[in-house]
Amino acid sequence: MVGHQLAGNLIQGLILGAVYGMATMGLSLIFGVLKVVNVGHGAFMMVGAFLALSTFKLLGLPPVLAVPVAFIVGMLLGFIFYRVAIKKLIKGPELSSLLATFAFGIILEEVVKLIYGSEHRGYNWALGKFSLGVTVVPYTKLIAFVGSILVAVLLYVWFNRTKAGKALRSVVEDSEGARVCGINVEWEYALSFAIGLGLTVSSGVLLTLFIPVGINPYMGGHYTLKAFVIAVLGGLESPYGAFFGGLIFGLIENGSYLLFSSFPSLEPFAMTRFFSFVMLLIILLIRPEGLLKTK
Amino acid sequence: MLKVDKLVSGYGPMQVLWEPSLNVKKGTITSVLGPNGAGKSTLLWTIFGTVKPWSGKIYFEGRDITFTPPHEKVNMGMTLVPEGKHLFKGMTVYENLIMGAYRKEAEEKLQENLELVYTLFPILKERAQQKAGSLSGGQQQMVTIARALMTNPKFIMLDEPSQGLAPKIVLEVFETIVKLKEEVGLTILLVEQNAEASFDAADYIYVMHEGHFKAEGRPEDIRKSKEVREAYLGI
Ligand SMILES: Nc1ncnc2c1ncn2[C@@H]1O[C@H](COP(=O)(O)OP(=O)(O)OP(=O)(O)O)[C@@H](O)[C@H]1O
Ligand SMILES: [Mg+2]
Repeated sequence: MVGHQLAGNLIQGLILGAVYGMATMGLSLIFGVLKVVNVGHGAFMMVGAFLALSTFKLLGLPPVLAVPVAFIVGMLLGFIFYRVAIKKLIKGPELSSLLATFAFGIILEEVVKLIYGSEHRGYNWALGKFSLGVTVVPYTKLIAFVGSILVAVLLYVWFNRTKAGKALRSVVEDSEGARVCGINVEWEYALSFAIGLGLTVSSGVLLTLFIPVGINPYMGGHYTLKAFVIAVLGGLESPYGAFFGGLIFGLIENGSYLLFSSFPSLEPFAMTRFFSFVMLLIILLIRPEGLLKTK
Repeated sequence: MLKVDKLVSGYGPMQVLWEPSLNVKKGTITSVLGPNGAGKSTLLWTIFGTVKPWSGKIYFEGRDITFTPPHEKVNMGMTLVPEGKHLFKGMTVYENLIMGAYRKEAEEKLQENLELVYTLFPILKERAQQKAGSLSGGQQQMVTIARALMTNPKFIMLDEPSQGLAPKIVLEVFETIVKLKEEVGLTILLVEQNAEASFDAADYIYVMHEGHFKAEGRPEDIRKSKEVREAYLGI
């Protein structure tokens, strides 16, 4: 009985974990290439969530189709923010770019609040469910799961098989080396910031399929923190590491939820959060370079 | 081929280059000698564009390239073999070489240049599938030079290519540089601390000290000048 419940939770955890993973790839990409910590990460996810809501409500667009729209919007935001601030700040101390992304996050939250107000909103996209015996999975979540894996694979192929992807990889390896090969390093920085935010915003679309209470402009902070744990799990600089970090995180989060809920005196939701950050601290202390980092 | 006129640059508020002017003739090896911290690397980085010039002019084949961004300079046939290698250590030797052929014109000549590079450095063909970071220091230096050749350059700047290498390997590196001039037809600007080896390889020498050129001339003249050797080269 408990075994069944655990298996069910782990399946749910794996599904949500894939979305978490995809949601963290952008954070790791931006950190890996630019050494910028995007503290406003969750706010960009929130923008994606509201894009999903608006395109669904106004245009009747199913959220899967909002993913590419969100990717483009994210890239545009990325190019703009890069041009306006990041470009100059990456030459300065790390704190300045960190504060800038923090500021972007708050600006986005306030802009979205101006448009939509601060109460929770939701939309209902239902396609039915299927049963796996131990648990029931709505098709919408299955789509989010498959979509996240697809995005991760696409990014992997792009990075390792295309010329543009290899150019970006070479910038990560050694930016001066890339420059003497004739690669426009400035452009690669802008591009990776844009792709990073594109990934982040589009992950916000998929995330809405997992939030029954609905979304609001301040939902992001929670996911920023999770993304940090996941990024550390995944070795910080590698987007694929982040993806696997997300899977692990999803499994642990849902697995431990069951564990904590078996103690009647504990509030399991708060406990999983507590548990995640204890995990973060422990990993940082024993392996500051992240758990999955091979180098 | 390259003309530098009263170049000034530095880092933050610190001025490093104090108006050196230099001329590199087509088909020659021009060498800049000088002690640690003289500003030799800064000179090359400023010519290449990674460090922004504060004032002065840079001309390449008659065109003003003072503020041309580095990737466009590579397009024009100029590249740099930086000090300290700057390889893509996590990539294979072959992948490093392919990255050198990144721009379109270089990609068209990829096979041709790959053959050239493998004739110059046969060991790189053997090690093609090995990670660049796993090679010896001398072999890594070969990869950096080879990668630069893959950009299909006319003009190449080398920053202390013999640094940290065993004497025998240093000799090989200098032989290769002379080959690049004589057999490949490249024009070369070579920065070195190894004065003796440069005297043999170079057609013209500039002696740099604290961001100024203190002397220039043909190698035999610089070699003869006791004053220059003692004051700036310490030999
Ligand atoms: N990136 C940098 N930021 C700040 N200062 C720098 C930087 N690079 C070099 N400098 C300073 O500029 C001056 C000239 O350095 P440069 O590297 O050009 O000398 P060099 O002649 O190449 O010396 P070496 O023979 O040791 O390579 C030195 O005082 C050095 O400390
Ligand atoms: Mg130097």
